[in-house]
Amino acid sequence: MSEKFDAIIIGAGVIGSPIAYELSKMGYKTLNVDKGPDAGEGSTAGSCAIVRAHYSTADGVAMAYEGFKYWLDWENYLDHVKDEKGLAKYMNTGSILIKSQGHDWRKVKKNYDEVGVEYEEWSNDRIKQAVPVADLHEFWPVRRPEDPRFYDEPTKEIEGALFCPEGGYVNDPALSAHNIMRAAEAKGAKFMFNAEVVDIRSEKGRVKGVTLKDGAQIDADIVVNVGGPHSYIITKMADGVWEGCNIKTKALRHEVMYCPSPEGYDYYNEGYHMSDGDIGCYVRPEVGNLFLIGSEDPECDPQHWVDPNEFYAGKGGPGYDNQLTEAQWKAQCYRLGKRIPSLKVPNQPRGVCDLYDCSDDWIPIYDKTDLPGFYLAVGTSGNQFKNAPVVGRMMAELIDACEKGLDHDNEPFQYKFKYIDRTTDVGFFSRKRQINYNSSFSVNG
Amino acid sequence: MQIYVCVKHVPDSAAALTFVDNSRIDENVTFLLNPYDEHAVTEAVRIRDLVPGSEAVAVCLGNEDAEKTVRSALAMGADRGILVTGGEGCDSIATARALKAAIESDGSPSLIFTGRQSIDAEGWQTMFRLGALFGFPAVTNAVKLELENDKVVVESELAGGVSNIYEMHMPCVIGAGRRLNTPGYPTFPDIVRSKKKIVEKIRLSGLETAKTSSCVTTVELAPMMQARNPSEIKGNPAEAARKIADILKNEAKVI
Repeated sequence: MSEKFDAIIIGAGVIGSPIAYELSKMGYKTLNVDKGPDAGEGSTAGSCAIVRAHYSTADGVAMAYEGFKYWLDWENYLDHVKDEKGLAKYMNTGSILIKSQGHDWRKVKKNYDEVGVEYEEWSNDRIKQAVPVADLHEFWPVRRPEDPRFYDEPTKEIEGALFCPEGGYVNDPALSAHNIMRAAEAKGAKFMFNAEVVDIRSEKGRVKGVTLKDGAQIDADIVVNVGGPHSYIITKMADGVWEGCNIKTKALRHEVMYCPSPEGYDYYNEGYHMSDGDIGCYVRPEVGNLFLIGSEDPECDPQHWVDPNEFYAGKGGPGYDNQLTEAQWKAQCYRLGKRIPSLKVPNQPRGVCDLYDCSDDWIPIYDKTDLPGFYLAVGTSGNQFKNAPVVGRMMAELIDACEKGLDHDNEPFQYKFKYIDRTTDVGFFSRKRQINYNSSFSVNG
Repeated sequence: MQIYVCVKHVPDSAAALTFVDNSRIDENVTFLLNPYDEHAVTEAVRIRDLVPGSEAVAVCLGNEDAEKTVRSALAMGADRGILVTGGEGCDSIATARALKAAIESDGSPSLIFTGRQSIDAEGWQTMFRLGALFGFPAVTNAVKLELENDKVVVESELAGGVSNIYEMHMPCVIGAGRRLNTPGYPTFPDIVRSKKKIVEKIRLSGLETAKTSSCVTTVELAPMMQARNPSEIKGNPAEAARKIADILKNEAKVI
């Protein structure tokens, strides 16, 4: 390609697309290259697209809360662009965080107070009003159905919940990325699909561009790795970058299940997003009056780290390929079956199996690198969908500041949120940080 | 009333199946209760509940792993299970003989349910062979069933949406179709209860069957590859919907 770009963004998912959008608005000429067929068709499409505020760090809560404002004001955010596929829709169900030993909910509450998140404390009676099908016994600790203790009778009850009236999910995650792509294109951004990057080229100590699988070379002084589960492969292509990261990323296989709502319970229209550490699950409504059941990564569950190329090709065998497993189907459905005893569990697994781009401490890396011009927006660890529009803006400003001479490693960029009155230290997401032990080390971030 | 429901342990239809030596599937995939048998179990449990003193027994010819499938039937409401092992490679004749022997050794059936077909071999034969061996009438693809004293009245759906009504004296064999009922999937408390139910395991060699060798041998298994020629339907949703309707009406001629 003879055309030269200011910035090449590797990946056109829900994080890569808003980075292009924001850079384009700032006057950068951008190109997204993605090995998939369209925007959001990689791991974004497999996202549960949950929009909730609870994180284990105040910065995490702040960014998520800022993100709400974008989803609530989606058409304005997109500058009223037309998308022939229609617009994704934010479904505000409200969000219940069960107080349990599986969540450090006291820390979450403190973070809510610090950031100013609107929330209520719910008693068990109040939960029962909202979720009449729930059994509020305490089932902790989370176990697997293969463990005979899984079937022990509970004796105690949980201690209520924190409820945020704002919270829910986006109904079509792939479409949301597509919407942002169309908005970016309206500002001049270009997108290229079915284009796999095989090399990051550099010259005189600075990134120079990318080489595609078909041999095409595209040049740009800025390259941003937003490769999702493939991010670690891309990072290793760039001279000296992997070695300069204290926090690394790798691809973690994850299963999400669809189970029909109990008869007579209109979960799709009346249900809440619920994060339930007591059973190691989170749930949200899905079309067809289904429960979408995600896992909160309890310690007893095996973690399968996979090669993303093999995974998407369906290779590696049970537990390592892109097929649901019976064992995990039973684990997640039976766990929810304890909380909702009228939930009927079909024999055939149904759901989605995809990958997290997981960092060592389940907190993303939004940073420059040791190769000038090469940036990272990686390690999203299954918990950054909701933040995507915020990350787009933050990354664009970080890149702009670094390109104008900011020494971000020593004087971290301070990002001023657009909607909430708060500034965040982008150094929090540094590749050179020590592992953040305040993290939940789970999808909860 | 003694009700038996024959269940089969089959690969998940969503699994990515591969073949070993072109003669058998790689069984390192999820196996589960044959979906048509879910309707059979649900109907057996419904009839059991209609007639006081009845018992619904799940019977399966399979390997050790097939106990999971018998347990699924128990979680859906069957009272107990019988698993006959050691019958690998049985065709529909040998399977019917094994099932008959297992049922006869257990009790005297009034009703025998099966699914109308299994989703793996799709022979559609076992239920008829079972009926023939017992000398019972059999009906396939039952979509409605009513009890009338010692008879059952069964609506059976045939190809093209044509239905016939059959009146049969019990004992008889019923092949359940998808429209017969909505499968009664278990709740977690059902699953916990089913763990305490009894599954009797019998070796096929320990059953009195006249002749167990199969008449069918597998020459070769090969994937059926269907040529697909996709084309993208472009335009806004209204235009796309019009084009799809036109294709369905004039090309596929299905509407």
